[in-house]
Amino acid sequence: MPLAISAQGIGKGFRTGLWGPVKQVLRQVDLTVAPGAIFGVLGPNGAGKTTLISILATLLLPDTGRARVLGLDVVRQAAALKERINLAASGAHFLWCMTVADNLRFYGRLYGLGGRALTDKVEKLLDLFGLAEHRAVTFERLSTGLKQRLALAKALINDPELLFLDEPTSGLDQEMAQHIREETLRLNRETGVTMLLTTHNLREAEMLCTEVAFLKGGRLISEGRIPDLQRRLGLGDHLSLIFQESPAPLDYDRLPGVLRHTVQDSRVDLVLDRVDERLPAILEAVYLTGKKLAKVVVKPVDLEEIYHEITHSPE
Amino acid sequence: MNRRNVFAILEMGFWPLIGIFSVGLLTRFLSLEGETVAFILIGAVTMNTVQIAQLDLSYALLYSVWSKSLKHEFIAPVRLFHILVGSGLVGLVRGLLVFVVMGCLSVYFFDMDLGRPGPAGLIFFLLGIFLNAAIIGALVLALVLRFGQRAEVAAWAFSYLMLLLCGLYYPVSVLPRGVQFLAQFIPMTYFLDYFRHFYGFPLVSRHPLLYGFGQSVIYLFLSYGLVCLTLKSAYKRGTLLRLSD
Repeated sequence: MPLAISAQGIGKGFRTGLWGPVKQVLRQVDLTVAPGAIFGVLGPNGAGKTTLISILATLLLPDTGRARVLGLDVVRQAAALKERINLAASGAHFLWCMTVADNLRFYGRLYGLGGRALTDKVEKLLDLFGLAEHRAVTFERLSTGLKQRLALAKALINDPELLFLDEPTSGLDQEMAQHIREETLRLNRETGVTMLLTTHNLREAEMLCTEVAFLKGGRLISEGRIPDLQRRLGLGDHLSLIFQESPAPLDYDRLPGVLRHTVQDSRVDLVLDRVDERLPAILEAVYLTGKKLAKVVVKPVDLEEIYHEITHSPE
Repeated sequence: MNRRNVFAILEMGFWPLIGIFSVGLLTRFLSLEGETVAFILIGAVTMNTVQIAQLDLSYALLYSVWSKSLKHEFIAPVRLFHILVGSGLVGLVRGLLVFVVMGCLSVYFFDMDLGRPGPAGLIFFLLGIFLNAAIIGALVLALVLRFGQRAEVAAWAFSYLMLLLCGLYYPVSVLPRGVQFLAQFIPMTYFLDYFRHFYGFPLVSRHPLLYGFGQSVIYLFLSYGLVCLTLKSAYKRGTLLRLSD
């Protein structure tokens, strides 16, 4: 099956002022995204996430490299590609004097919709994003959450095969952000639309993304599925065994899946490759020593650790 | 969009009313003769029609710049040609409306018949007005794409500057010699010359329509090319994104 996104050697710089030096924002970025995936591009502010997404979304021309999205070249076949993609970005901005429904109709027309098809599509999106009761409200009078919902509704007006989500929950309250994430997941499951998501919210990436890539200083420094990244970086899940008295006399490093361990008083902290798979065997080994456990604490590795490991390593 | 933007609607009625009455009443105060009144009122009608028609082209991008939604329009499969033709047609309709309203007011209040040149004369003149509006609108679009919101003042300034040079309320001959030279390169000079000759003023140019349309077509192609170039540059420089932040 052809890739949804395939980019090689993407580079982009911006000149500061008329004659100023060129600031390199992206350097030799290679990226592949499988169809139907929710792919997360993570990185701190200024890492180049929005620049990358903008190039892939045909809004910006790269200085170097080539990219194909849905099999089409983002520069030479941009016009054809635009019909099959869409974008929702943080800090939604639309025509302020138009109502929610009119904004959707306006963008629908830009994608060639009209008549009954347009009316049906707008109604469906209004319902889907809970915007029906706000249909006659002008954009400038909407709350931030509603504006963001409208942004997502607009991004689906053309039933895109690939959706670019540029920090889609930025600035939203927790409840609304969670709602948007659930909608995103549901949409991906039901329609199979490929999504490229930029975020610096690691929990969000963890919840949504099948694969992630980390950008730092314009370079893509790591890419893959979250468990693969975890393995590659030697990071693991945490398991703390707190004994009632002294710790069980075990050679912990030889237990299955243990990457490293520390012992302090009656507490043993283990780092495991996969805690869900290894826990029964470890508990059995402890049980056989006759030592009693007071408490067991499990903390799976999170993206935060991966992110920290990657972004704090030298480039 | 205009349906909900009260200022856009007011703009269509307010400025033409101010234009026709301020200039018309001035001619009355100065006790000017019928033909001179026509000469000046043609200027007032022309100015407002050009301004309204070209603003719609400029607004095609300015609304998106003001609302910071430019990237959403440009991620859609809409070509520059669609934007120019679409907004140009809206400008044409609004401009035509302004021309008709001002024409009626001129007849009713100042006894100046804007229909005297007949259908052919009116059609050529209006075509000239709309071609000039399209040229100015395209130039403004190019400036907005290059300089963003900073260039919005050009949306109003360009047409006034052009109309100042082409002899809006006065014959070009009263302009300083250097400016008269510049006026030769403004197509509106020839269209005004053509239209006014129906009101008894001798033609300054021997073939005003030829020069007017000839220059207009050349400028229209050049300005379209300029917009295409600035759009390409905007894609390269990230202007579309910057204007959406």
